[in-house]
Amino acid sequence: MAHIHLEDGSFSPLFVLLWWGTALALIAIALYLLRSARKPDQKRITIAAFCAAAAFAVFQVSIPIAGGVHLNLTPLIGILAGPIFGLLIVFITNILSAAIGHGGWGLVGANTLVNFSEVVVAWGIFHVLRNLVPDLFSRAGIATLIGLMVGNCVMIGIVMVSGIQGVNQSPEQVLFGLSIIAAINMGVAIIEALMTGLVVAYIGKMRPDLLEGR
Amino acid sequence: MVMTGNHGRLIFFGLVLLVGIISIFAFNGSGTKGIEERFSSALGVSPGDEEHGSGSDPGFSLEGNPPLYTIILVLLVGVCWVMYRKFGT
Repeated sequence: MAHIHLEDGSFSPLFVLLWWGTALALIAIALYLLRSARKPDQKRITIAAFCAAAAFAVFQVSIPIAGGVHLNLTPLIGILAGPIFGLLIVFITNILSAAIGHGGWGLVGANTLVNFSEVVVAWGIFHVLRNLVPDLFSRAGIATLIGLMVGNCVMIGIVMVSGIQGVNQSPEQVLFGLSIIAAINMGVAIIEALMTGLVVAYIGKMRPDLLEGR
Repeated sequence: MVMTGNHGRLIFFGLVLLVGIISIFAFNGSGTKGIEERFSSALGVSPGDEEHGSGSDPGFSLEGNPPLYTIILVLLVGVCWVMYRKFGT
């Protein structure tokens, strides 16, 4: 959902390197954790491949709501694949998106961090609420809304910290403008929450083994 | 404390209502713009031409380069097929 829609050159090289470096450090940790696992989780690997394909397919489609928005499926990725595979999926999706001209290469690191925050928060909320809210539809919907809200906050935080090169807006003006974007994004997050809730409820009914431990 | 399905749905749809109201106010305040235009006006930069699918498009549209999108999507579907055949679910 949240995605920094700016061209290359918007962030200074220092911040491009900082966000890329942070994303790559997290990916290195994720790969280490996966490699150190005693037995590869083959089921999760297959789910991750399907999630990556679905996320890439959906991510590029502009939906004619509120002037044009797109879904990310990041909360669904978090719920189905978990945070470690989720990080790799959002990184691959952002790389492939940049490759076809949707988003700048310099922003892949920052956008990976934004999307990863959505993955990890949705996964965490879905997990934490397991005993409190047994209904899969509601739990996935709540996790999606909160995950996407955090993603929007991370997006605002990254832009505010980085600053945009060559603009004369005051930080207050930028914060106000980004808050409006986040509020509109959250309207579309409702669609994503309903969709994620329905998908998770369906999977829970047809293939509950895919949600094992979740 | 364990909530029933109804309680969970009450919380979820309460959140949906709250978020929906805030979003409608925000949308009415900012007008119809594409996401790139919103970003550009929020940050005071000129909108770029690298992304497509702006608010001027009446229907669904594709952001980025459509032929490349198709090629990458076909490759990803191929990877999924191989994974499914090899590991199953």
